[in-house]
Amino acid sequence: MRALRPPPGELRTTLALEGVGRRYGPRGPWVLRDVELAVPAGALLRIVGTNGTGKSTLLRIVAGIDRPTVGRVRGRPRTAYVPERFPVELPFTAVGYLTHLGRVHGLRGRPAAHAAARWLERFGAAGHAHTPLAELSKGTSQKVAVAQALLADPELLVLDEAWTGLDQRARAELDRAVAERVADGGAVVFVDHDPRRLAGAADAVYHVHGAGLAPRDPDGPLAADGPAGPRAAGRRVRIEAVGPPGAAPPDGLPGAPEVAGAPDGGTALTVPAAYSDALLRALLTAHPPWHIRAVTEPPAPEGPVAPAGRAPHPPKPEERP
Amino acid sequence: MTALLRYQAELLVRSHRLLPPLLLYGIFLAIGVQSGQPVLDSLGYTAAGLLPVAAWLVRVCVAGDPPAARQVAAAATSPARVHLACVLTALLCSTALGALATVVVARISGAHSADHRVAVPVGEATVGGLLAAVACALLGTAVGALCNWPLLRRPGYALLATALAALVALVQAPSPAHAAVRDLVSGSHSGAVPMPVPACAAAALLCAAATAVACALSARRA
Repeated sequence: MRALRPPPGELRTTLALEGVGRRYGPRGPWVLRDVELAVPAGALLRIVGTNGTGKSTLLRIVAGIDRPTVGRVRGRPRTAYVPERFPVELPFTAVGYLTHLGRVHGLRGRPAAHAAARWLERFGAAGHAHTPLAELSKGTSQKVAVAQALLADPELLVLDEAWTGLDQRARAELDRAVAERVADGGAVVFVDHDPRRLAGAADAVYHVHGAGLAPRDPDGPLAADGPAGPRAAGRRVRIEAVGPPGAAPPDGLPGAPEVAGAPDGGTALTVPAAYSDALLRALLTAHPPWHIRAVTEPPAPEGPVAPAGRAPHPPKPEERP
Repeated sequence: MTALLRYQAELLVRSHRLLPPLLLYGIFLAIGVQSGQPVLDSLGYTAAGLLPVAAWLVRVCVAGDPPAARQVAAAATSPARVHLACVLTALLCSTALGALATVVVARISGAHSADHRVAVPVGEATVGGLLAAVACALLGTAVGALCNWPLLRRPGYALLATALAALVALVQAPSPAHAAVRDLVSGSHSGAVPMPVPACAAAALLCAAATAVACALSARRA
């Protein structure tokens, strides 16, 4: 398992499931049984499992929407939840609904309205801010669902296939928003059918199988969660930076970068692509700040093989000073 | 909690589902109340009609939130708080409606007993009528809380149970709503204005208990 942020000494569990079981009705089959799960602050947890195994039930218990039949849930951080489908027929405009939800999440009126407008813009839905929710397309509705969860910087973000229905650009934006939450010390628990979603970025992977929950190697194959085959390593970004003479990179950098030496006294930090913005921000705002020399996309690391018929991403220079 | 109440209240006002119970109550009053009739009789009628309307308003609030929107709000707060906000919004709405109706009815009614022999003070009668209306709103809310999601989930059963329970709450003796309305009507015969405070208190207790049960179950039936 990769190192968690903040460094292991400061790990704090925001939420823990202890011996949790859930069944619907007194004679129904157990959907979940004897589930133990600790959600540390600043961790990105992925839940995998085939359809109908109780992933959504687990996420609803983690989000505090559903109560376990047996066992208990310890801790209740400020939580936000994104359901898989958000086809709400409510008599509000997108920005009106988000302002209400911002208040429900604990913001005051004016900051709630500002946050609503900002997140709609980030997901490319600013043009629909004053469209009634009932008239929004499925994709734009999903953007509203995602925006409501991110409005108030939640301590625990629970995403149940939140990427489904989003366009390519909004998916990448949600990847980055998730990385930002984790870099800021929030916990994120997610399910997604795409095994390449945030590949290589998860701190821990849990497998729901036969009503139980078992940890998985986060860097191992995720075959049970979607198309069979070895997991693509996921896009990574290599940042070449120069720090103060002799200084090591700061502790607890977003994305737990792989650190290597670079020519001319530089340091190369490689992170999953979703973390590149958060890592750049952390380096530039460090005290003293680090100088960024280059940002590149390295070829996929050796080991995992890209799916047949797909060439690995070639190294693509994105910025050269 | 304030944010949830604001959200639910705006949802109720903006959705057209508020209109049918409002219209029904208006028609009910227009048929049964005429200016110059004995004030306590009319106030009893006004309070009695409010009970099923209050139960219906709970249904409008509880069922008005699509499940996805409800889950999203429940994650930010808790399922019990979201449900409490729904029930409280309905109660506030029916209480305001009852208060408005009571004041209007008291103003247009005749300030005398049923046999026109005893004068009835309008101010006192309005207070008595308000207490009865509040008792009916509280009991109607209790009926609505017990006869809808999460206790009864099928719309057919919920509607039938709400109608039956509202009827029983109006006509059966131990019900505080029945007591409050009966006091007004018998007060109209004697010309003495009743103050149904005990009925109001009993209805408040029943409403609190029913709402607590519904809120406690709301997380188990998500």
